Amino acid sequence: MLSRVADSLYWMSRNIERAENNARVLGVQLIQMLEASSEETLARHDWETVLEICGSNTQFNELYPNMSTNHLIEYLAFSENNANSILNCIRYARENARTTRDIIPNDLFEVWNNLYLDTQEMNIREGSLRDVKTFLERVKVASLTSQGIVDSMMTRGVPYRFFNIAKWLERAEKTARILNILNDRSAADLNKADGTNYYYWRSALQLVNGYEEYLKKYPPRMNEKDVLTFMISDYAFPRSIQYCMDHIRESIISLEGGKVSHYSWRIYAALDSLIDEFDEHKIRSLKENGISAFLDDFQNRCNDISQIFSETYYLVDPAGVP
Amino acid sequence: MFKPYQSNHFFDEMLEQDGTTRNHYQGFHSIMNQFTEEELREKHETAQLSFLRQGITFTVYSDNVGTERTMPFDFIPIIMPPETWDMIEKGMKQRVEALNIFLEDIYNDGAIIRDGVIPRELIEQNPNYFKKEIGGVKIPLHNHIFLAGIDLIRDQEGTYRVLEDNLRNPSGMSYVYQNRYVMRQVYPEFFNRHSIHSLEHQLSNMHEAVLDHCPVNCEHPPRAVLLTPGMYNSAYYDHLFLAQQMGIELVEGRDLHVRDDVVYMKTIRGMQRVDIIYRRIDDDFLDPKVFRKDSALGVPGLLEAYRKGNVAILNGIGNGVADDKAMYAFVPEMIRYYLNEEPIIPNVDTYFMRNIEQRKWALENLDQLVVKNVGASGGYDMLIGPHATNEEIARFKKKIEEEPHQYIAQPTIQLSRAPSFQDGRFYPCHVDLRVFVMRGKQTHVLPGGLSRVALKEGSLVVNSSQGGGGKDTWVLKKGDEQYAQQSR
Repeated sequence: MLSRVADSLYWMSRNIERAENNARVLGVQLIQMLEASSEETLARHDWETVLEICGSNTQFNELYPNMSTNHLIEYLAFSENNANSILNCIRYARENARTTRDIIPNDLFEVWNNLYLDTQEMNIREGSLRDVKTFLERVKVASLTSQGIVDSMMTRGVPYRFFNIAKWLERAEKTARILNILNDRSAADLNKADGTNYYYWRSALQLVNGYEEYLKKYPPRMNEKDVLTFMISDYAFPRSIQYCMDHIRESIISLEGGKVSHYSWRIYAALDSLIDEFDEHKIRSLKENGISAFLDDFQNRCNDISQIFSETYYLVDPAGVP
Repeated sequence: MFKPYQSNHFFDEMLEQDGTTRNHYQGFHSIMNQFTEEELREKHETAQLSFLRQGITFTVYSDNVGTERTMPFDFIPIIMPPETWDMIEKGMKQRVEALNIFLEDIYNDGAIIRDGVIPRELIEQNPNYFKKEIGGVKIPLHNHIFLAGIDLIRDQEGTYRVLEDNLRNPSGMSYVYQNRYVMRQVYPEFFNRHSIHSLEHQLSNMHEAVLDHCPVNCEHPPRAVLLTPGMYNSAYYDHLFLAQQMGIELVEGRDLHVRDDVVYMKTIRGMQRVDIIYRRIDDDFLDPKVFRKDSALGVPGLLEAYRKGNVAILNGIGNGVADDKAMYAFVPEMIRYYLNEEPIIPNVDTYFMRNIEQRKWALENLDQLVVKNVGASGGYDMLIGPHATNEEIARFKKKIEEEPHQYIAQPTIQLSRAPSFQDGRFYPCHVDLRVFVMRGKQTHVLPGGLSRVALKEGSLVVNSSQGGGGKDTWVLKKGDEQYAQQSR
């Protein structure tokens, strides 16, 4: 496969996953906003968290005069200025699907082409949460449909592995980011009312769509080490970092036909050390004040892996838009 | 519903002069009459949407902003009886064969110039004549024309004539397939009762033809790629479709790299050798070391690899000298000179503005002539005398006087018409036909071709960039004509 095409495939997959993740985060927040509205400052903190997860507080403040709900939705879902707005993710996914059409199933292109074309004619009434939710739902369905198409139609060859590796990298990075940001918020809030911890860790689970699965395994008490263990090192939860890294590693083994060669040892080494160092035992033995540094380090290591992956397979910068 | 119209001044593909339906359209007509207007309207919308949803679009640029558009589709096909097609197929093979020998000749001995058949300056002063760059280069099969797109029209008498040769990068083949695909999806009723030539095996013929061009220094099974300027090019869908259907890699200039005069492509497993390039980039942009220095689309060093016989480039470099509107007038002479045959399909009469007498006559008759810039395409820089205002005529008069060698004039041909169905009503529109000729060790002509239709009522311009649309083109199999008649 051409490096350029591999790169487009990689970014298509990441943007599909990112669109879905950002749509979910925004969806969760639109509901929480209603529950937390009694306490204004808390609500404001929530939005700041969401901005940090899906975009940037700094950029938001440059673009908008205040944190009104309409501005927040506009920035996160539709803004052209926010590279990670859901609409931009859809556009990138579709553009990259266009340049990889000769190797992906036609149905996959059509899902994103259709969604993109529909968003061009979309009319969201100002302030209509219902319209926004309908849009977010469509994005989620498109992403899930893509995964179904990939799973049921694509030969287990190089393009298939690339698609999945990119998806898991994006997902692992997002989980790491969510944990890191919510941990910071929780730490900053420690002196406030009891129960805020509970609130933050439950949010973290909801934002990765893991709350239900968590409850099947742990008591509904939000013990932070339980949550961290679940989100980082649970081998069976498909959004845990462990799960993503395991699957990336398996995919690379298939790509390389089970061999480690001069150009691929770095990616193996990086994955192995990440998996080794962040196991359940280490998380359980963390000290209260060590969590933040641990998560920072962890997030950096996740980012490194995508860098090493790109270098291993000669991926180039995403196609420039003239 | 469909009402026959009188067609006094134009040849109509479907109707006789008196408004009755031609024999080979009768089967189609009777099925069409069974649809209600509402059904037709609904099918029409489904068809248009299907192009958009599948991303079968071309990009139109205005003020540097690209808009993706679909080519409007019209469901009434152009139907051709088998003997008509036999004649066209032969005529196309003959014409492209002569053009290919011409290219091989003028890039080597130049016999046709020496023998005075074509004026020397017409070739040597042509901006697309690259004798210095590629003269004498040995190319696989001596074949310069892997894919030709020849535009045909029919005049008032229904005689097919060649309007234009496209020997550089003719596009539109994907539309032939998509028109057929949509037609089968949305109007399956028509296919049960017609037996028409299928398009299915043609792409494997095309693939084979690509691989036939194994370069001199290639001793392994050759690897072929399709070189595209990228997704912002207006014909990107065409490139994508052909690459996908032939199972060859779709590459951009930045994917290729020349080292020691050998071409490689950059893959996730490192560099892999490329032997045959079906390029859809114009000569000018192909290699910044030789042609335009500012080209970001091309591959530095490609030409040297070509000269050394390490890579084949399809279509050949320098074909532009043979397909401009001035050389066009000499193609019948080429056929006589090289093949010793009479042209099967005639040209449209052409007057040279570089010739003083012809210019003088033409300038007095501009209101009846079509004037074309020899270097332009796509319907640009063109005057259609009978439809032009006095100001336009005056403007072209000035242009011709300033640069006479840039222009030719032709009588205004009453392009044939065919009924179309748009916006819920039937009306006659002018049509032409682009026929695709594929040449490798064998020559194949894609049955039918791309029928283009000027959907703006009365307009003569069929180019998709200027509001033209497409129709499916059916070549009936032998014996089907009678069948169509019986089913009346």
